[in-house]
Amino acid sequence: MQNNECIYICEQFTEYHENSLLPELKAKVDAHLTVCSPCQAIYQELAQVIQKLHSLPTINTNPEFNDQLLSKLRDLQAESTWSRIYKSSYMRVASYAVAAGFIVAVGLNVWIDPISPINQGRVSSFAGTQKPNAINEETLASQTDSVVGNSSDSLELSPGTISSGSSTLQLVNDTQ
Amino acid sequence: MDAVTPKTDEQLIAEFQAGDEQGFVELVNRYKDRLVNFVYRFLNDMTDAEDLVQETFLKVYQKKHAYREIAKFSTWIYTIAGNLARSELRKRKRRKTYTMSSLSYDDNEFTPVDHGKDTEGIVFNSYAGEEIMKAINQLPEPFKTITILRDIQELSYEDISTILDIPMGTVKSRVNRARLKLQETLSYLRE
Ligand SMILES: [Zn+2]
Repeated sequence: MQNNECIYICEQFTEYHENSLLPELKAKVDAHLTVCSPCQAIYQELAQVIQKLHSLPTINTNPEFNDQLLSKLRDLQAESTWSRIYKSSYMRVASYAVAAGFIVAVGLNVWIDPISPINQGRVSSFAGTQKPNAINEETLASQTDSVVGNSSDSLELSPGTISSGSSTLQLVNDTQ
Repeated sequence: MDAVTPKTDEQLIAEFQAGDEQGFVELVNRYKDRLVNFVYRFLNDMTDAEDLVQETFLKVYQKKHAYREIAKFSTWIYTIAGNLARSELRKRKRRKTYTMSSLSYDDNEFTPVDHGKDTEGIVFNSYAGEEIMKAINQLPEPFKTITILRDIQELSYEDISTILDIPMGTVKSRVNRARLKLQETLSYLRE
């Protein structure tokens, strides 16, 4: 660049190229370009650069893009199911209450009849106190499962909806 | 859908906000290629670019109610993708610094940072394409972002002003300066 005039002219190049300069300013740039070869050279190169930029090849996403996105959405839903269960104090209190209820029930059952898991007998014994623990774990596990099952139903987007979403995604993809 | 008058992005996101997932699907199909083109120019890695665009859509899915109709949907989604891309670049820089410092202490801990392992899938039409991408990558911020938005994505000055949250006059002058820098870099690369 030669001088302040040249710098000023170069600052106008983008708008000059896009033909959005005010007529007065456009005339000024035109006049400068006819007498200043360095600015003329810069402008010509600049126009080529812009043209090259506009003709860069377009990149397309791979055909599995929608399926991959869908699988991430599913993971997100699964994650939010768990976080909802853990974050919901209501669910936590409820599951503690259920668990406590079972511990008491099973404990009482064992205290009354340690051999049978169902309260049938009236003979009290303290033998086999290890057994209720095993039952408790199983029961609690099944309780947790049922809690998860119930919560899944309350999701905004049920797995069924996601699956149908999948076919929709592919369908739209195919029509492209 | 009416083939003559396709729904606007804003109509689609409104439908999605109201619970119709077809609106989301339509937006994904409308924007995935555009966004991958945008993000790929930052990351130079196709797998990373696609991951990041998917992350962008996941954010749209999760935060659909954060969108307000006062803004165009396109500027909103470009802002999300742009922020994610910049944060990914920062992470890469940190990783690079970390791996370099690991190397100086213990050669065994050195794990090379994998930049652009998947770029061979992208075949540029000409040497000029490669050359110009090289020049864009050498542009300092904020000129790189502005070049990608204006000259590759061909967004309006108004949209760029919204996405980058800078006045329109600044956008125009930065575009001009970025192009001049690019032209300078290209002539330097040719020497
Ligand atoms: Zn001049």
